[in-house]
Amino acid sequence: MSDIIKPENLVYTKTKVLTDVPMHYCPGCSHGVVHKLIAEIIDEMGIQEQTVGVAPVGCAVFAYNYIDVDFQEAAHGRAPAVATAIKRLMPEKYVFTYQGDGDLAAIGTAETIHACNRGENIVIVFINNGIYGMTGGQMAPTTLEGMKTATCPYGRDTSINGYPLNITELLAKLEGTRYVTRQSVHTAAAVRKAKKAIQKGFANSMEGKGTSIIEIVSTCASGWKMTPDQSNKWMVENMFPAYPMGDLKDK
Amino acid sequence: MSEEIKLMKGNEAIAHAAIRCGCDGYFGYPITPQSEIMETLMEEEPWKTTGMVVLQAESEVAAINMVYGGAGCGKRVMTSSSSPGMSLKQEGLSYIAGAELPCLAVNVMRGGPGLGTIQPSQADYFQAVKGGGHGDYKVITLAPASVQEMADFTALGFELAFKYRNPAMILADGVIGQMMEKVMLPPFTPRKTAEEIKAETDWATCGKPASRKANVITSLELEAVDMEQRNLKFQAKYRQIEENEVRYEELMTEDAEYILVAFGSSARVCQKAVEVGRSQGIKLGLLRPITLYPFPTKVLESYAQNNQVKGFMAVEMNAGQMVEDVRLAVNGQKKVEFHGRLGGIIPTPDEVVEVIKSKFELK
Repeated sequence: MSDIIKPENLVYTKTKVLTDVPMHYCPGCSHGVVHKLIAEIIDEMGIQEQTVGVAPVGCAVFAYNYIDVDFQEAAHGRAPAVATAIKRLMPEKYVFTYQGDGDLAAIGTAETIHACNRGENIVIVFINNGIYGMTGGQMAPTTLEGMKTATCPYGRDTSINGYPLNITELLAKLEGTRYVTRQSVHTAAAVRKAKKAIQKGFANSMEGKGTSIIEIVSTCASGWKMTPDQSNKWMVENMFPAYPMGDLKDK
Repeated sequence: MSEEIKLMKGNEAIAHAAIRCGCDGYFGYPITPQSEIMETLMEEEPWKTTGMVVLQAESEVAAINMVYGGAGCGKRVMTSSSSPGMSLKQEGLSYIAGAELPCLAVNVMRGGPGLGTIQPSQADYFQAVKGGGHGDYKVITLAPASVQEMADFTALGFELAFKYRNPAMILADGVIGQMMEKVMLPPFTPRKTAEEIKAETDWATCGKPASRKANVITSLELEAVDMEQRNLKFQAKYRQIEENEVRYEELMTEDAEYILVAFGSSARVCQKAVEVGRSQGIKLGLLRPITLYPFPTKVLESYAQNNQVKGFMAVEMNAGQMVEDVRLAVNGQKKVEFHGRLGGIIPTPDEVVEVIKSKFELK
């Protein structure tokens, strides 16, 4: 056995930028995969020492326990403002935010739009699962019509709560955004595409040409009250039509 | 050097002093009566000279969060606003204190509550000194009473903020912000280099080298036992600040029988009131707190215990805020009266003297 374990036989290893801290995420959650992709990209680009992350309020509030770079915990929704200052004061650093749908498209809408409008040279990773997971499964701006959550237990009623918010389409219209794309991580192929997209965002951020936003349409098995497998299927059948995959902008 | 003595508004003095003391970044939003701070910075274009970042944010909320981000990198960053905008910043200040970050915030107070008026007031004393945001924290609060102090307290604010890893605030009022006086601007101090910042702030997010663990700037701690320890550490820091950083100024208090207690513009009025009162044979004195937090409790205590002193009167442009801290310090040993004007009305020296005569039944 010991003669098999040689460097040349190594096919895969966990990146050192992902810590060994056991993740608190639910089975089937997309956060774990996306954290891994970000960590791998930082490792492969050799930028661990040059990267500063901004964590959200949401299930990923402890992202800094899993991705081994200097991190700042932002107040709910404020990550793009926090990232703006970090990047403007330390332009040689790679600066990324990692945000959920409440963080980015509810309380943080102004900060999101204005950071993008200014064309801040940051990477925004947007995890859209149409629900507020950390606080117990309440309605999000991206919750679909008819979808049941803790604060719309009979299904989202657009006459009361308006429509699922296509924030990403709005951001793509701003001059300041350079790369706006929607991805997922529910299949191996999707994971590879998502990784390329995030990596592109990181590379872009050093070219002074504007903001990159990578939305990852995701599942929340706990919030949706489904099994991981059911939630992947439900996502493809319901979330994907509302939030279509692909590049909305690539300048 | 005479060429460094200029005539300018208090607001302008803050902007010039910020550039000169090596400020790395200013993030703000227009609001009357302090928009000149950001306007002056934009006119001076310090990004071309010192490299200072000056950015107009989309709101006071965004601005204070930019300050948080910059402070987390160990940079000297600041913001300014006036009362309604300062209310918006309270969440951010709580986070900055909770994450043990240094920063400088300037509040040029106007009348409230609500949208209020653009006229001056001192009605944000409670907000500044008692912690306007949530949780057990304090903001080191400096109260300038002149354009010179607006300039001087900019560097002092940063010094104290970095010494204690805590937000510091310049609590001015619309009079001080808008009035023009002679000011000797501080000499130019260069901004700190990246190496100096790493040495001064080993906790900052300057990028994680292999030699250390990742730095995480956060105010979150879910384990109650650990959170209590964290808060106790903050409280120990506040006791140190209270012990070491009290600042105040006295005018004719050595033989005073009645001591006025006032800060900012009210103190300027009371300086004249002391003169007027003395000319009428009243032994008036003035104690002017310079730090509102930490409050000059001990010196007030000693005057309260002094047999010569018959009473105190707090003079403020509010409905009675600092007077509560005067009462706490005096602890019932002497009478503490209050005179306040509201809505942007500024008391006059003669008015102050008439009121003290009436309250203490003097001729």
